[in-house]
Amino acid sequence: NSHQLSSVPLQILFYVNGIYYIFYFLATLAMIVYKSEVFSYPDDFLAPDLALLFIMAILEVPRLHLAFCFLRGSKGNLSEEEAPLGLSLVITVGSVILSVYFLVWQTYVLKADVILNALLLFTYGLESVLKVVAIAAFV
Amino acid sequence: PPETRAAARPRSGPAPVTDVAKLCICDLLVAQCDVNCCCDPDCSAADFSLFTTCSVPVVTGDNRLCSQKAAMYSLDVEANPPERIFKLIDQVNPNVFCIHATNYKQALSFSSPQMPTSENFDQLLKEFGSAAFSAEPDSWDMNTDAQNPSDANETYRYEYGVPIHTVDAFLRLPSPVVSSWCSDANPAGFLVNQATKCTRPVSVRKCGNIQAVSMLFYINSGILAVPKSSQMVNITVQSVVVQSLNGMRTLLNGSDVLRLPMILDELCINIVLGVSYHITYTDMGEIIEAAAAFVLGAINKEALSIQQSFEISFTQVNTKPVPLSGNPGYVVGLPVRAGFRPQGYPFPVEILFNTNKYGQLTILQSTSSQDCLAAQGARTPVLFGYNMVSGCKLRTTAAMKCQPLTQTLLDLLKGQTFPEYVASFGNSRAQDVLDWVPITHLQTSEQRIYNTFQSSCQIPISLEIEVKWTKYGSLVNPQARIVNVTATITTTTLKQLPSGRERTIPITSSVVFTDISSPAEPGYKAWPTINVKLPFDFFFPFV
Repeated sequence: NSHQLSSVPLQILFYVNGIYYIFYFLATLAMIVYKSEVFSYPDDFLAPDLALLFIMAILEVPRLHLAFCFLRGSKGNLSEEEAPLGLSLVITVGSVILSVYFLVWQTYVLKADVILNALLLFTYGLESVLKVVAIAAFV
Repeated sequence: PPETRAAARPRSGPAPVTDVAKLCICDLLVAQCDVNCCCDPDCSAADFSLFTTCSVPVVTGDNRLCSQKAAMYSLDVEANPPERIFKLIDQVNPNVFCIHATNYKQALSFSSPQMPTSENFDQLLKEFGSAAFSAEPDSWDMNTDAQNPSDANETYRYEYGVPIHTVDAFLRLPSPVVSSWCSDANPAGFLVNQATKCTRPVSVRKCGNIQAVSMLFYINSGILAVPKSSQMVNITVQSVVVQSLNGMRTLLNGSDVLRLPMILDELCINIVLGVSYHITYTDMGEIIEAAAAFVLGAINKEALSIQQSFEISFTQVNTKPVPLSGNPGYVVGLPVRAGFRPQGYPFPVEILFNTNKYGQLTILQSTSSQDCLAAQGARTPVLFGYNMVSGCKLRTTAAMKCQPLTQTLLDLLKGQTFPEYVASFGNSRAQDVLDWVPITHLQTSEQRIYNTFQSSCQIPISLEIEVKWTKYGSLVNPQARIVNVTATITTTTLKQLPSGRERTIPITSSVVFTDISSPAEPGYKAWPTINVKLPFDFFFPFV
């Protein structure tokens, strides 16, 4: 079953993504605190950056949950199992945009930010490709 | 109109230089080459060959950026002649937390301050107009309001230097400000004795109109007894002296009448030429009496300006003012204070002295006639720090007897009242007896060979007062203190003259001030010692 074959790398990727995202969130939060101490970071620039980071964290939870839903299998027929994956893909687009914000449009983009976000984007990209392949297997 | 609108548009400051190749911080002299400044554009290759080092080797931007341009200047000393090397390189910051990009314009440079215009001036003044810029200026106002109620319960009093309040403003003591013209805005300070002289423009035509030459101007406003109170002290007229055009002064009796300027025979009379205020105060800082003594004069048609002199002095109530010669150390040029032990007391409890400050310690004053006996007791006060010599010539005849002559000469040299004690400080009080130095009297004879069986008489011919003083107190502000005063009388033998012959003997008196201060020893604070002691029962079980 092709759907079973493509799920192993996807499953590994989802686990890696989850762990990496926790690290990414904590690191970015720590770096924002560092920047606010070392640089001149007025409140009306700090607030959007923090808000978007928390929004990104909030989006990540359903995104990964839906993806795992697909893998663990659920009651219902195959056609219903596309839906969580598709929804997850849609949420991934939002996460990608937020990651691009942190890469390019943040108030202070440090080299560490560039590295973290580049890795995150790479992970998202790989994930999206595999999801598209998985969805295409149904259609 | 367009010109005013163009003027109202805010001019911005010069644009900041951000190109590292054009930035040079050692270029201080305009259009001239600065020494050892390798980035100076005014230097030619010949100048560079004379440099020894580059004072500014690198010019970079903010080094927190990941990559930035840097201008490197160095001198190649191997070449002949030495030449300057300029390189523009990209410097890379290896730190992982270097700034890769920033979307916040003002992050890495100082913000340009706003240029004040007529629109934003009030807001800028409110924000930056005080001594400290606070983000919340309102909270500062609230604090001062909270303090005021507690101040209201405090009783006010005058302190040294505080301007003396009157009903409407301050007690004025006109004084010259930049030029010699009088300015009426100088307030008199409490306990600050002042004397000023300034010039006032006048004219006979405006006789009654110039306020500042009328007596009323100086006494019309009452002085407040304490600041911020309603208790008023009226300024009374103590005395009025009228000065005529040729300078002769007459004291008027019945000085209660207010004399205002008026025109009489083409002269303007009753013009105020001088005011002398005397303020009496209590030791609680309250003014209880104020008196003014006036000098009035007259001006004629040709006068364009007059000189006015103003004075203010303060006396504490129930005390007599004692003129000080220094506070506390003697001031050079002020008279040495001296006094007597009261009669009948074996141990002095108080020293009596003459309040006339020039009448305390005096020496003989030389007169133009140089004749001692015709001197009529002219004396001059001894001023601290001024060595003086004076003298006269005594003409003796055979008829003069020894004893009266000795007595006359002693009176001449020492004066009628030669004091017994000299104040060691300029402000020594009469009741501090230990602050007064007794005068030591010595007598020496001019002849070395002393014949005890002298039948001839010894007459004093010179008095030398030696005042030994020392510097007392701190190194940075030493005060002069008199330590010892010795009055030495030198006598000589009066040889008998054949009758009819005259002889002239020179008599001298002198005052010498000698500084006997020991060189100052600076005192250093002791090094702090570490005081380590174990507790008493540290070795408890064993000791």
